Amino acid sequence: MTPQLFIFGLNIIVISLFLALYGLMSGVNSLIGVASSLGVLGGVFIVYSRIPRDPTITALVNYSKILLESTTSIIEDLDLLDSNLCIVRKGNELLAVYSKIPCPIQVDPGVGFTGGSPYLAIPIEIPLVEGFEATGTVDQATLERMLRTIIVDELGMARELGLTITGNTYHVYIHGLIEVLKDYSKYPVDPYVIVTAAIIAYTTSASSIRVVEKTTTPDGVVIALRAGEIAE
Amino acid sequence: MQSRIVLFTLMFTSLVVISNITLVFLNESRIDVYISLSILAYYVSHALSRPSTTYKPVRILNIALFVLFAVIVAYRVYEVFIS
Repeated sequence: MTPQLFIFGLNIIVISLFLALYGLMSGVNSLIGVASSLGVLGGVFIVYSRIPRDPTITALVNYSKILLESTTSIIEDLDLLDSNLCIVRKGNELLAVYSKIPCPIQVDPGVGFTGGSPYLAIPIEIPLVEGFEATGTVDQATLERMLRTIIVDELGMARELGLTITGNTYHVYIHGLIEVLKDYSKYPVDPYVIVTAAIIAYTTSASSIRVVEKTTTPDGVVIALRAGEIAE
Repeated sequence: MQSRIVLFTLMFTSLVVISNITLVFLNESRIDVYISLSILAYYVSHALSRPSTTYKPVRILNIALFVLFAVIVAYRVYEVFIS
């Protein structure tokens, strides 16, 4: 929360109340109009003062690092550092599955064993997709717009994003990564890979999206994903 | 994010002040005109600066202001039909 913006908004509302009162007593409608307008202004500032400011973000970043390192330890202990990452659809849920076999479907959230390989399955909740429809189509322009809206505009994870589709393979080009998440992209649970793959899995309603390759460029990352592969 | 909120605050305040001064000079006495122009100023500032759409209170505010604007417009259209 931003206390200064909150107090500023509150002050504006108090001023608008006095102005409205004076306008009512003197019968000048334009004063009441100005007061109403100031009331809207103050109300907006009060609402926006509730948006977390940077120190809260710093606390979140530190907490995320703790969680990331503990997840990486689990992946190391399961000998899954060189494993395949696949977003698998299980009912209405999406799971990020780390396993030696590509895209196992007989998995449950958590740690387990399937097809002769240990796995770690993490339930994924994609931020902000409720405003978009899971059409099941693979229209490149629509998918690229959705990826850009969520990753660049809403989450601010990068400055620019591009997408090409070849058959059932998606190439996502992400440029201008933000500093704090750039450090996280070195971990197995890479936020750029997870969020991108999950959005594509949700939008296309694919049964699975496998991360084929991740290439780091000087300013970003290129992620290649393939849809529809399932291990029996 | 913080710089976007600062930009939004400056833009919104400027637009509200300019619109209010203009309406006062035009001797506008209809209160809903002031409110609807403030709401328009909010959406213009929001679209240009894009401070946030992720936080629930901001989403509720967006919907509430839109509903208020729609009610004002509907009332004025109704008045036109009645007259």
